[in-house]
Amino acid sequence: MIISVIFFTENFTLNAQDAVTLLQEMDNLMLAPKDKQGTVKIILTNKSGKEKVREAEMKQKGRDKRLYRYTQPESQAGIATLSLPDNIMWLYMPAFKKPKKISLLAKSQAFTGTDFSYEDMESKSYSERYTPTLLNTNEDTYELELIPKSEKSKYSKIILNIDKVNYYPLTMEYFNKGNQKIKEATYKYQKTGNYWNAGEVTMTNLKKEHSTKIVFTNIIFDQDLSDDEFTVENLVPAPE
Amino acid sequence: MDKLAQSIFKYRWVTIVTVILLTAFLGYQIKDLRINSDVISALPDDDPDAALFKEIGSKFGGNDMGMIILETDNIFKTEVLEHVQQLTDTLRMTDGISSVSSLTDIIDIKGDDYGIEIGKLVDEWDLPDTPEELEKLKQRVFSKDLYKGSIVSEDGTATLIIFTIQDEADIKSVANSIREKAESLNLPEKLYYIGSPMLVTYISELMYSDLLRLIPVAFILIAVVLYLSFNSKRGVILPLLTAAIAITWTLGTMVLFGYEMSMISNNIPIILLAVGSAYSIHVLNKINYYRETDGKRAIFLALTYIIIPVFLAALTTIIGFISFIFGAYLTIIKDFGIFTALGTFFTCLLSLFFVPAIISSLSLKKVKNVAKNKKKENSALSNYLLIPLTNLLHKHPKYILTTWSILILISIGGIFLIERSVDIQEYFKKDNPTRAAENIMINKFGGSKPIYVLFRGDMQSPEVLKLMIETEKYMEKSPDVVSTQSVADLIAEINNVMGEGYKIPDERDKIEQLWFLLDGNDIMPRFVTDELDEGIILSKFVSPDNKAKKVFANYMNAFIQNHSSEDCNIQITGMPFVDVTMDKSLLKSQMGSLSIAIFFVIILVGLIMRSLPKGIYATLPIIVAIVILFGVMGYAGISLNIATVLVASVALGIGIDYSIHVISYFNHSFKITGDLNKAIEDTIMISGRAIVINVFSVSGGFLVLLFSEMVPLQYFGLLIALSMVGSSLGALTLLPVILILVNRKKLIRS
Repeated sequence: MIISVIFFTENFTLNAQDAVTLLQEMDNLMLAPKDKQGTVKIILTNKSGKEKVREAEMKQKGRDKRLYRYTQPESQAGIATLSLPDNIMWLYMPAFKKPKKISLLAKSQAFTGTDFSYEDMESKSYSERYTPTLLNTNEDTYELELIPKSEKSKYSKIILNIDKVNYYPLTMEYFNKGNQKIKEATYKYQKTGNYWNAGEVTMTNLKKEHSTKIVFTNIIFDQDLSDDEFTVENLVPAPE
Repeated sequence: MDKLAQSIFKYRWVTIVTVILLTAFLGYQIKDLRINSDVISALPDDDPDAALFKEIGSKFGGNDMGMIILETDNIFKTEVLEHVQQLTDTLRMTDGISSVSSLTDIIDIKGDDYGIEIGKLVDEWDLPDTPEELEKLKQRVFSKDLYKGSIVSEDGTATLIIFTIQDEADIKSVANSIREKAESLNLPEKLYYIGSPMLVTYISELMYSDLLRLIPVAFILIAVVLYLSFNSKRGVILPLLTAAIAITWTLGTMVLFGYEMSMISNNIPIILLAVGSAYSIHVLNKINYYRETDGKRAIFLALTYIIIPVFLAALTTIIGFISFIFGAYLTIIKDFGIFTALGTFFTCLLSLFFVPAIISSLSLKKVKNVAKNKKKENSALSNYLLIPLTNLLHKHPKYILTTWSILILISIGGIFLIERSVDIQEYFKKDNPTRAAENIMINKFGGSKPIYVLFRGDMQSPEVLKLMIETEKYMEKSPDVVSTQSVADLIAEINNVMGEGYKIPDERDKIEQLWFLLDGNDIMPRFVTDELDEGIILSKFVSPDNKAKKVFANYMNAFIQNHSSEDCNIQITGMPFVDVTMDKSLLKSQMGSLSIAIFFVIILVGLIMRSLPKGIYATLPIIVAIVILFGVMGYAGISLNIATVLVASVALGIGIDYSIHVISYFNHSFKITGDLNKAIEDTIMISGRAIVINVFSVSGGFLVLLFSEMVPLQYFGLLIALSMVGSSLGALTLLPVILILVNRKKLIRS
């Protein structure tokens, strides 16, 4: 009896709390920290299983200021990228001394060799970009269908599974306009301090049989990073 | 021979059961027979150019790239761009395709003092729709080598949609669905399909169609010839059954040993049908001949006489096929030689063991009537052909000799006119769309034959990249190279975007950092290996002319010798280089296989006849027929190619049989009667009849190849038929004359 009441109430809340709310919950969780800082390891695996590893120090403030400073591989150490609002990115390559502004006009383009496109990395929240529908309520997860609001999206839909309790994403399946599944992402969330954050994200391009695994370590939150950290001037390291 | 003949009779049921079981077993294997129409995989590994070509094709993924060509009067129109976009989207949504690139989906990097703009050449959501925008796009396309001549033709009337097929995808089904989906869009522009996956699929379709259409036609045709000759069901069914069983065994064995059906071995069924039915015809003919007296005894008598000639006939044919193993350039030709030889062996075995076994197990009563009927039927052949021929031989042996001599002289003149061709495009008929696609590639996109220059060295070293640029500039000075592409161009391009000018930076760290922007780009694996220790310059060769290819090979080799070093080893290969070697090897292979075949045939026939001169006489008619064959090829402009190169040796192997029959019968008859004239007459009347029937059925079988979808095979069939007629005429006119002249002298001397 008690169990059925719980089920009932849960179903009831579900009906009231529609897919839009669920997606907002996920956005809130993802965007909760004011800022974060840590080490990012990017592992690229091609179809023959060969791996390439890059490493960078990452700083992020809010949702759309992001700084990567690469430390590995040796030959690309010192390269830094600064992502700013409105799809502007600044690139600094030590051998060329001056930072260059990069305007990204093609969002379907892969982000420097990874399986994430610029569209996947956009700073806008999921709720802003997609219209959700609840497909299924599973034992531990909600299954949502996300339809892109922009007709320019490369995707026809994304099937998203989120954790029922904490609303963090578990998997995302990306479909092209021909309704073929072309990519899938899996997330491993963990709680660090007050926040849930993805310790590991793996994106697999099913057509190219190529995958990108991003591992976040040494994550620290809410350090009150100053806006000055995210300036073009700051891209160029101070002379030692 | 008597004993063998008796055993054949005694164990007839064992033979029949064994044949049935073997046929069932090997026939079951054929379900796994696969067609391999990939020309590149047929290139031999022991030719460095071919081996390197194959290695680069698989390492840098050139073999899995296909293209749709869209042709119209002007590409730079909004509706044309819309159609390109439709095709691009359709391809992208096709299963088994990993990437697509086209005018409406290609990256465009622009740079100026203010920064870099990474975008698309055409915004697919906002296609250029004003004359100004279209003109701007045109200017942009024609300003960069990355687009001009590689995505859009230099005259702006054709554009390519380039796609890559996934490794494990089934190429044929992907290629077919590409064609179906593209056609279903019903676009007003003309579409063509090209590139390795499309070509391989197309050839395999032609092969299937050949197999399905030609084999039944050949069966029916030979059946008609057989019925006209024997006027009995048995005379039709037995030879065809033997051939069918031999074909089953051969194809089954191919599967058992892991071989695939190639564009050459595709003809094995037709060839075995034509060749294989001949042996049964001889056996049947002989049995019928003796059967007028007594049923079972006829089989003994026939077998005692026929075992050696049929075995010999098969052996010489086998020699003709086996001769391809030595000196053939393409592995598919060697395989063809091995399996047709094996198939010939099977048909020989079946004719000698299985045919008599079947006949002796059946009732022999009706045969007498048939034999009588047959005599009447064939009297026309005797009256109008064989008797006049005998008279001619007796009265004017020297006229015959003179006529042949004149023919030979004329033919020798033709031999010098023979052209060689190694172009795969000649496999297709003139109206074939693949040829049209090829022409567009040659005329509008700077050629279709790939050239690869391989650099082994540090791909991030300024020296290596500069050497690549230098090599490209040198290549482009050749009149047959329009454009070149390499990772060095990309580095120079991005360096330019970074504001440092279109050049390779002098500092290594700049190159390494520029690489950061290129990493993961779809185009990179086409240019460099993952380890960055090998890179290629991709180019195309315009001229289909072999001389131009040789000139270019020398031109490039001179450069490579001067510039290749320990730090950076340079090698060049490509279809033009493979073509040059294939061209050389055509002649070598022709001379090699033909001389091997002639040598062994003379030795073999000499051994059987216990006299080398007789071996030479026997071989003369077929050598003459081959000389005439080459003469006809020269005058008719039929080129020597990978299929026609097979004709001479095959013709020798089959055609020698006629001479062997003539000489054997002549010896047999001359020994008994001691009368030269009578012996010649008997030979022509008995062997001549068998030979004429055989020429009709064998040539008929080969002429079916005229309906093949592939041009060289049409010529192959025609030329073999021609050689059969030539060698039978030789065996029935030239050879008897030689026999008359030689034996007359002997008679006079004695």
